[in-house]
Amino acid sequence: MSELATAARPSGMIAKTARRVGVALTISIAIAFLMMHNGWRSGLFLRTIIVGLSATTAFGLFELFPATLPPWIRRWALQVIAVGVFMPLTTLVIYILSTPRGAPPFWKVPDRMNGWMMLTFLGLLIAPWTAFVAVVRQKEAFARDQKLAFALERSELERQALDARLHLLQAQVAPHFLFNTLANVQALVDAGSPHATKVLRSLVAYLRAAVPLLNEPAATVERELQLVRPYLELMQMRMPDRLNYAMNVDPSAMKVRCPPTTVLTLVENAVRHGIDPSEEGGRIDIDIERRGERCVVRVKDTGAGLRQSGNGLGTGLTTLRERLQLIFGDAAQLRLMSVAPRGVVAEVDMPAQT
Amino acid sequence: MSGHPTALIADDEPLLRDALRRQLAEVWPELEIVAEARNGREAVRLFDERHPDICFLDIQMPGLSGVDAASHIGRRAHVVFVTAYDHYAVHAFEQGALDYLLKPVEEARLAETVSRLKERLESSRPAINTEQLLQQLSAQLAKLQGGGKSEPLRWIRAQAGKTLRLIAIDDVDYLRSDEKYTLVAWRDGGKPAEAVVRTPIKDLLEQLDSEQFAQVHRSVVVNLRAISHVKRHDNETAEIHLKGRDDVLPVSRSYVHLFRQM
Repeated sequence: MSELATAARPSGMIAKTARRVGVALTISIAIAFLMMHNGWRSGLFLRTIIVGLSATTAFGLFELFPATLPPWIRRWALQVIAVGVFMPLTTLVIYILSTPRGAPPFWKVPDRMNGWMMLTFLGLLIAPWTAFVAVVRQKEAFARDQKLAFALERSELERQALDARLHLLQAQVAPHFLFNTLANVQALVDAGSPHATKVLRSLVAYLRAAVPLLNEPAATVERELQLVRPYLELMQMRMPDRLNYAMNVDPSAMKVRCPPTTVLTLVENAVRHGIDPSEEGGRIDIDIERRGERCVVRVKDTGAGLRQSGNGLGTGLTTLRERLQLIFGDAAQLRLMSVAPRGVVAEVDMPAQT
Repeated sequence: MSGHPTALIADDEPLLRDALRRQLAEVWPELEIVAEARNGREAVRLFDERHPDICFLDIQMPGLSGVDAASHIGRRAHVVFVTAYDHYAVHAFEQGALDYLLKPVEEARLAETVSRLKERLESSRPAINTEQLLQQLSAQLAKLQGGGKSEPLRWIRAQAGKTLRLIAIDDVDYLRSDEKYTLVAWRDGGKPAEAVVRTPIKDLLEQLDSEQFAQVHRSVVVNLRAISHVKRHDNETAEIHLKGRDDVLPVSRSYVHLFRQM
């Protein structure tokens, strides 16, 4: 992933090449200065620079080619060896090409032969080591990159957790829900209906369960039901002709721990995206079951179904999914599927921790 | 205008319909409520039957929304929107000088609205032209419900065997287009699974987060997090191997640069 990111940046390639050429030039010029004290002549700088650049080229070349390596050789070893092999070859080429026409070959002139051996020797001494250091530094940089990437990922997870709680806060005290419910309460009170007290009681129960839940990292199925029951009572009071519901809860699942508002999110989703958009309404069935080490929360509705619910489906479910992931990792799943003839099943399958 | 003015009330919550009817009876006893609708479609049907002078429309109703119903009614009646707190809608109302009431409805506010309506009815001024405003409002509501277009796709609705499933985008390993549909290779609780969607891969790609998904071939889009390693071939192509999945995906020449080494 981080390799991909760096490779996609052409400016990174250019900077890297420039850095390498810079190192090669510096070393070449330094060697030329050292050798000058030994009474060398013209063309010395040019020679060492050519040698340095050829070593850099060898290093870069074998970094990319061949694309796939046999298993018995490592890329870095190949690079270091390549630099070592290139040294005598380059110096040989330089000495052959710099021999004037008609003059005897350089190995027959003791002075030039000495020069060649000196240059080759120094090259062999210094270049592979430089290559080796370069490889080590590159590995270190890669490790640093990865460490940074991990740190980033961790902070991203922390941010997600914070976001999730914020979403929760917004969802649970959603002004639309609150004002609509209060409008109903007011209607009942104005009409002098005996139902007013009952509805108010549901609202108070809902708020009492919802508000402290927001500050807790984990809830239990039992606490969830304290939230879900008044919520459904309120919604049924608001849509008496359109909403029916039933709950079937395994008593052994009551103490199972879950992220706050897990069950409520599923139920709310069924109401908002299943029942509310449907003219005829429908029925919601809540089943909470404990199967050994697992706990399954299933909310089924016979409402509008997946197709008609549009893209809006999800904000609540997406955050729920993120929260489950943060707590359980891959051990928990949120599944959504359509059911015939109408409606949706939303299911959370999580470890039954008590 | 002969006889008493008439009105229609549309709200999917019966208690709120009753409440508005009662409040109107107090503030405006002459007003005759000739129809009560439970949803947008019923409102439109009852309007066509009874032709009331005024329509009180809840915005969020199943099926046809209050805004849609108002578009149908047009200038044939004075429309008053009724809504619970709805930030965007309220903003649009204020800008467009549309009549609206907030739930729970306050008597003072209702009285104001009523006196404005009376004025309009007496001067037999036609209802204000709201077509453009309603279109804007409708678009805004659609955007609000759709979560906005700019947001990347988070769930894919796909057919897995006989069931339609909603697949979280993070669970998708890759997408591969076939002749008629797009194959979704995903993880069902960690286990490799496959599903299909009718949406062309090109349209899906547009909605995906480009940080997470990349096209690697004319017909393949891969989740970068699902890649285990990439093998390069000599002919400038490559193949992608995935984590926990045997499938090998092709990388065509024009996308191979994505996987070049540092």
